[in-house]
Amino acid sequence: MSVTTASKVRPITGLQGEGKLARIVLDWTPEPWETVVDHYAVYGTRDADDVEVEPGTLLTKTVYPHFVHRGLGGASERWVYRVVTVDAAGSRSRPSTLVAVTSRESVSVSGSPLAVVGEFDGKGLEFALSPAGSSQYNATFPNGVDFSYGTDVVGTGWSYLQPGPADSWAGRRNHLFRLRFELDEVPAHDVDLALWLIDSHASIPGSAVLTVNGTSVDRLTFEGGATKGSTQGDSTVPGSPLKPSYLERPLAAGLFVAGENTLELFKDDGSWIAYDAIGVFARAGH
Amino acid sequence: MAQRRERPMLDRRTFLQLSGVSSAAVALGISAPEAFADERTPVPEGAFGLGVASGEPGPRSVVLWTRLAPEPLAPDGHGGMPRRPVPVQWEMSTDESFRRVVRRGTAVASPELSHAVHPQVDGLQPGREYFYRFKAGRETSPVGRTKTLPARGELASSFSFATASCQAWYHGHFSAYRHMAAEELDAVFFVGDYIYEYGITSANLWRAGASVTPEHAVDIETLEQFRLRYSLFKSDPHLQAAHALAPWVVTWDDHEVQNNYGADGSRYGVSPEHFVHLRAVGYRAFYENLPLSLSTMPDGPDTALYRRFDVGSLARFNILDTRQYRDAPPADAGDQYDEQRTILGHEQEQWLYDGMIGSPATWNVLVNGVTVSAITEDRTDQWDGYPAARQRLIGAMQQTGNPVVLTGDIHRHVAAELKADFADPSSETVGVELICTSIASDGDGAPTDGYTPDWIQHPYVKLYDGRRGYVHCRMTPDELTSEFKIVSWIRADADAPLETVARFVTPAGSPGLEKQG
Repeated sequence: MSVTTASKVRPITGLQGEGKLARIVLDWTPEPWETVVDHYAVYGTRDADDVEVEPGTLLTKTVYPHFVHRGLGGASERWVYRVVTVDAAGSRSRPSTLVAVTSRESVSVSGSPLAVVGEFDGKGLEFALSPAGSSQYNATFPNGVDFSYGTDVVGTGWSYLQPGPADSWAGRRNHLFRLRFELDEVPAHDVDLALWLIDSHASIPGSAVLTVNGTSVDRLTFEGGATKGSTQGDSTVPGSPLKPSYLERPLAAGLFVAGENTLELFKDDGSWIAYDAIGVFARAGH
Repeated sequence: MAQRRERPMLDRRTFLQLSGVSSAAVALGISAPEAFADERTPVPEGAFGLGVASGEPGPRSVVLWTRLAPEPLAPDGHGGMPRRPVPVQWEMSTDESFRRVVRRGTAVASPELSHAVHPQVDGLQPGREYFYRFKAGRETSPVGRTKTLPARGELASSFSFATASCQAWYHGHFSAYRHMAAEELDAVFFVGDYIYEYGITSANLWRAGASVTPEHAVDIETLEQFRLRYSLFKSDPHLQAAHALAPWVVTWDDHEVQNNYGADGSRYGVSPEHFVHLRAVGYRAFYENLPLSLSTMPDGPDTALYRRFDVGSLARFNILDTRQYRDAPPADAGDQYDEQRTILGHEQEQWLYDGMIGSPATWNVLVNGVTVSAITEDRTDQWDGYPAARQRLIGAMQQTGNPVVLTGDIHRHVAAELKADFADPSSETVGVELICTSIASDGDGAPTDGYTPDWIQHPYVKLYDGRRGYVHCRMTPDELTSEFKIVSWIRADADAPLETVARFVTPAGSPGLEKQG
């Protein structure tokens, strides 16, 4: 019977974490169903040996045995965490054992920007039509996006959503987003692409063909999001349902030329993605 | 963490050990040991702020419900109650002034169930009106009216009920319930979307004069958030009045957990392994906040919600669960038309057919979440996404007396005839589907809208109206009269008058919709 009759709620076990780009993923073993869980309260502190379980360190309350600590930004961050179980009667467990995890550093921090559209900050609010203007997409961007870095303005020139052929609101067609940028010279070393999304379609985020100066480089496959980024633009708001994702990959120096370069994303598969930022970065020390 | 106990109150272990009442019944707010009933437990003023309700009527029984919540909108979901069990006395009378009390008892309101109680009252007379109330500490609840069903096998001369669905509190006032509370009803059937899980912000808070605190601004996920959401919706006085009018029989649709979910499948990227935890708290809060019997108490992420009620031999109501067991959305057309595809799950499907075919009832009713009628192929959340299952259902209906489907979900009034072959409108009509519009979801609405052509393109669709309201039905051994009621506005206030936009008669033995007037 699903009723908690014990007066003590046990702390969860199996707490573990994985450091990723701009986020840390925590998982633990859920309570058995005999304990009716109201929520798990996750507490965390940055750059400390332990975390005080108090309101100021409460990161989230979740019903899942899983928490993605988002919005950490591009720099590597070290955090420590503990989890408290709260049952249906409002009783709280002792804090779980502690776990320490470090997030990965982004090329948007380690590198030098060659061309950047938007800010790598978990928000897409700086883009055109954000946060909920998808109904104006067809009228505003009938031919997709053609954006010249250094000249065009993000707030009017780059759409917050890049639709795909599955999107009836965008004409059930493919959509090309092009970024133009100048380089004084061919890069001496490989560079890095950073593509951060605040959200994407949950079940059919699809993929896009990445092309640099006419050379097809890769097909980028997107992670499923929460299908909420078409109406909400800030994944850092507490309780935000958005599911950001992050793509970073090297680009060979030989793809680039002195003068104007073009980087294209051709969305010919699935539904939309919602931008956080996109940029090309030279590697530090080179 | 040690529980706080205040002498001379009985502690949990003591009352669980007392004989005569099972510990489960005590813990689940059904009953209480005699000794505990006499406890003088202080209860905060205004403890019945969420009203009273009854449900699950039988010929000799009914379930009563209340949830103690002196501060219904306390952010922790516990309604401002202290974290300890409290005895709640109930009494049932044949008169509104409680001079002829026929049953009384005590249930334990415990923090495990957010101080909700669900006492089942037995030994009542069939087909009879009763009044009930609760007492806790010095607090007395409002009086509720309820009614038992006719005796088994009795052919009642009539049975009147309303159907309602989709009550997005934030989209407008519950004017429809204000009018429903003035009806003479034997029961209310609620067909899903009692709450919505969405964050309530300035973008969707259309109910003039209402405001909410920041706790309500996020999509709900934890049990405390689900409890708070029920409290917010149930704080509406017109909803409380409708609950106090007649026994309710409820089922859910998707928004009691998450938009368009099915089984363990989320449409918002939550893995099945994680999604069951959301389902568990959603189902738990549903049970806690509605007049349901112990058999519908969730066990982890699972709830046995489908069940049936016999109104003597006049009608049989099959209450369906179209969410918990459904197959995932179709991947392609081949998947959509797969013969094995099911929306009810094969076990519930067989249970339904067993109860329909050979039923002794004149009317055989399905209380159902989503539209059965064929509308468009891309409406895959409805039975349109499960065409083989629909055809099996139609086949069962052809062997059943006077099938009637009661549906919600679409926020529109629709009346349709169910065809043996929807592709051939001239084929036999096997039953009728009466879809009630929303109580509040989508705000004021209008008689027609952008979706109208999808529906009225079919000759078997006899009515479409996009305003708010409910459906009133009266069954007799000879006919079913359905009236589609609307209010023209809900955003500004709750003052809109009631109008009847269509009235249909369905003769027994001749399924179909005969429009009146």
